[in-house]
Amino acid sequence: MPLGQRIAIIGGGHNALITAFYLAKGGFKPLVLERREMVGGGAITEEFHPGFRASTLAHTLGPLRADIAKDLQLENFHCEILSPDPRVFAPSPDGKALFFYNDVAKTAAGIANFSAKDAAKYTQFVASLEETAGFFTQLTSITPPAIDKPTPEDLWNLLKTGKNVRSLGKTGIFDLLRWGPMAVADFVAEFFETELLRAAIAARGIFGTALGPWSAGSTAVLLLRAAADSHPVGSAAFPRGGLGSFTRALAEAAKAAGAEIRTDAEVQHIRIKDGAVTGVVLADGEEISVEAVVSGADPKRTFFNLVDPSQLDPTFANRMKNFRANGNVAKVNLALGGLPIFSALDAAESSLKSLGGRIHIGPEIDYLERAFDASKYGEFSKAPWLDVTIPTILDPSLAPDGKHVLSAYVQFAPYKLREGNWDARRQDLGNTVVKTLAAYAPNLPGLVEHMQVITPKDLESSYGFTGGHIFHGELALDQIFTMRPILDWARYKTPVRGLFLCGSGTHPGNGLTGASGANAAREIIRDLR
Amino acid sequence: MATKYDVIVIGGGHNGLVNAAYLAKAGKKVVVLERRHVLGGAAVTEEIVPGFLFSECSYVVSLLRPEIIRELDLPRHGLEILPLDGTFSPMPSGDYLWRVNDHAKSIRDIRRHSRLDAEAYDEFSKMMTPMCRFVKPILSMIPPDPTTLNPKDLKQLHFLMQRFRELSSDERYTLVQLMTMSSADFLDQWFETDVLKATMSASGIIGTFLGIRSPGTAYVLLHHYMGEIDGAFRSWGFSRGGTGAISNAIADAAREAGVEIRTKAPVGKILVKNGRTTGVVLQSGEELFANVVSSSVDPHLTFEKFIEPNELPADFLEGVRRYKFRGSSGKVNLALDALPNFKSLPGPGAHLRGAVSISPSMDYMERAYDDAKYGHFSRKPYIDMVIPSLTDPSVAPPGKHVLSCFVQYAPYKLAEGTWDDQKKAFGDNVINTIAEYAPNIKDIIIDRQVLTPLDLERDFGLTQGNIFQGELSLEQLFFLRPVAGWAYYRTPIDNLYMCGSATHPGGGIMGANGRIASQVILKNWKGGSSGSTATASKAAN
Repeated sequence: MPLGQRIAIIGGGHNALITAFYLAKGGFKPLVLERREMVGGGAITEEFHPGFRASTLAHTLGPLRADIAKDLQLENFHCEILSPDPRVFAPSPDGKALFFYNDVAKTAAGIANFSAKDAAKYTQFVASLEETAGFFTQLTSITPPAIDKPTPEDLWNLLKTGKNVRSLGKTGIFDLLRWGPMAVADFVAEFFETELLRAAIAARGIFGTALGPWSAGSTAVLLLRAAADSHPVGSAAFPRGGLGSFTRALAEAAKAAGAEIRTDAEVQHIRIKDGAVTGVVLADGEEISVEAVVSGADPKRTFFNLVDPSQLDPTFANRMKNFRANGNVAKVNLALGGLPIFSALDAAESSLKSLGGRIHIGPEIDYLERAFDASKYGEFSKAPWLDVTIPTILDPSLAPDGKHVLSAYVQFAPYKLREGNWDARRQDLGNTVVKTLAAYAPNLPGLVEHMQVITPKDLESSYGFTGGHIFHGELALDQIFTMRPILDWARYKTPVRGLFLCGSGTHPGNGLTGASGANAAREIIRDLR
Repeated sequence: MATKYDVIVIGGGHNGLVNAAYLAKAGKKVVVLERRHVLGGAAVTEEIVPGFLFSECSYVVSLLRPEIIRELDLPRHGLEILPLDGTFSPMPSGDYLWRVNDHAKSIRDIRRHSRLDAEAYDEFSKMMTPMCRFVKPILSMIPPDPTTLNPKDLKQLHFLMQRFRELSSDERYTLVQLMTMSSADFLDQWFETDVLKATMSASGIIGTFLGIRSPGTAYVLLHHYMGEIDGAFRSWGFSRGGTGAISNAIADAAREAGVEIRTKAPVGKILVKNGRTTGVVLQSGEELFANVVSSSVDPHLTFEKFIEPNELPADFLEGVRRYKFRGSSGKVNLALDALPNFKSLPGPGAHLRGAVSISPSMDYMERAYDDAKYGHFSRKPYIDMVIPSLTDPSVAPPGKHVLSCFVQYAPYKLAEGTWDDQKKAFGDNVINTIAEYAPNIKDIIIDRQVLTPLDLERDFGLTQGNIFQGELSLEQLFFLRPVAGWAYYRTPIDNLYMCGSATHPGGGIMGANGRIASQVILKNWKGGSSGSTATASKAAN
């Protein structure tokens, strides 16, 4: 197809915008069509209460894969990244707390208050995580190989991967093989004895999944995330102005590269003729004919809502039906009249600094596991695991003077409730979160001026995540790499000629790293040229 | 000067005996040392209640490798497998699901629950066959070392890759799912009937400390499913005279081949001199010398009890310590005055000749696991029952019966109390659970034997009461079993080998472990030295 041809990109989420950027760079004319009035998808900033703005959904960056960040140069588009240190503050109910700093020694020193043995192990843990992460980083940048007819590039990639693996040495390789399918609870127990430390690190293996720390395979998820940021507790960075200014900057970068972006432009239907896309139809009836369509929407939405199912091969449709995408995460944003005071922190001065990053509420492995148990029976956790940020500490512009925004990921909250429906249970969930936080910050309930509760149903209806799954589909051993979204179709192409996927439902998926979008663009350009 | 043997086999369980028999057939002078007064290890039958023969631990046979039955001519030595037909799952609703080996019959019963499932069941069986065909040869191969560039290992890995690529797209899709998914998620894709999924998923958790919703359990499901296609109806069965009869038949074959078998001969120590074993010392103090020692007991006993830590490389020892046992099941054996009478299908009948599975729903199974996670035995356990006396009257007095109950979960580590003081409560809980489906059970019990994980450890030498000598979890299979880098039946100690269930391909009365180990031992013998230096150095670098 001649260069300069128009390519419709469905959805204005971060992966779609990154695909648009690369396609424009590649000489195509990408047209991004976003349903809502703003781009960003799951990475947005909204005013949820007069004067209070929050990163509605995602509240920290992936971060972007290094090579992508380098290409985008977001700093040229007014995107200032704030990187709190400590990254994570993990209080326990008894008033003790752990702090995870960028500095390994400093973190270890804190751990020593709990266990000298763990403090020593921590350094070793950081090292082996970095080592294996290096291998995974390379995996996230390649297109999963074709099993039947591996392309020369596939073989080259496999060779490179093989070399990387071998560089880990015998023990390293075997550790990788052992760890992948392991329960993350066992993984952290191989290194540490302190429950709080185990839980704070293990949580990363179950975030956004239908896994508990005792579920096998949760270690693979943790290692996948370590690829984006090998710090044991992951990234805590976020842009000034909230995640919205990150995607706004992405949009500007894409435009500067030559992409066209339209908001309030909901794609209702992908037109297909003789097994190839011919265009898209918008909600207002407008028809745009293009020769290629890239869907940033999740796979299920793409194939069951936007495409006429009769156009799909039954085997493909059946596998897609089995793609597990029921979410377990809710989001609660609080408008606070003042700063919550955590029992585990002393002087206001130091506490302010301590609260700048993420706050981990989930003191024990069993606490996390019990939180998960509830979801197995269609109930949300009575004592949920919370991943909290108070962005206003580093970025006061998000709230009126002296006031604060508290943003909390709530796990577990199953998409399918067995009793009642989410509209009826919304308040109940919000109260549970406030109650849970109150055990650590007693003054919090009195500070709440407004509460925004985003249930898995809302994630689906308002933000377009089918099944309310923030990663477009379960991250589990059977739905990663060559199996994401499904075996035989993990290379961003689809059975429909000219229809591609670029969202989180493709390899490697998982968080705001841009990897899916960048990998997809590479494959699309190769395919269309 | 004590007699010198070619090989000393530690443990008279089925794998130890198979290992010994093959070595003796190859002309080696072999002695088997069994701690207890009876042979068989966990494949044992004893008269616990006068007149009643209990197959105390392992109670059915499925995966016993056909080549072993053939090569050791076990039928001539008294092995007779009697059919165990079907699985009967009573439900609280008063309904039931009854699957038998007659495929058409099963489908008819499934259709009562769901027409869709009846059709899916047919497809499912068709799909599982190639899956088992793919895995079968792996059961009898020595796992390759994925970390070397050694041509032999690469060839094996390539062989596996090729076979995978030869599968059809659908077969690959299913195989990959079996290797990675939870049995619950896997079965959800095929079926809608809760009791059907629950009963099928049950085989995915046996011997593991995982719930049916935990990834990795689909593989165990396959591991057990394999038995079911092993040659028609003889697939799952009883051995006449109890499971112990299998061990006795193998022992008989071994003796005929010249193996010396000693019971009540507990090993206290494995002799090691300059990194090479020279024999063992019995707890009695008696010393026995041999070129090779082959241990069929688990790695914990072999390396942490019988050998001084300083004789072993630190990383290997760490691997042994990390190896997960975590027994999760118990056993309740009942001597009955009459047959249990199930509400959902009253009276005696063919349904009692098969397995009776208390697994009414997926949630039931998962909640049973939840209890165990927090250190309590399942208040409502999964129970797999058989009544061998219906098929083999020789195990009970006329008109009386033996009811053998496998119970999961029973976590080795309890949050409160010890197993000794919870033993009675555990047994009562099992009886009460059965009573909900067969109320007459309490009136017909003559006597009972309760085996907790602690009993399995103390009486049968199964560390932490794990029936497979170590969890069948993905990180402990194939080239990772029992210790990464040491999945080749060899050990860091020259001339010391492993041949028990803690090696590939794992647990169950397969005998494969003992057979493959014998091949490895003999191969090294042929290679001049009987030492494992070659591979040991390969695996240790």
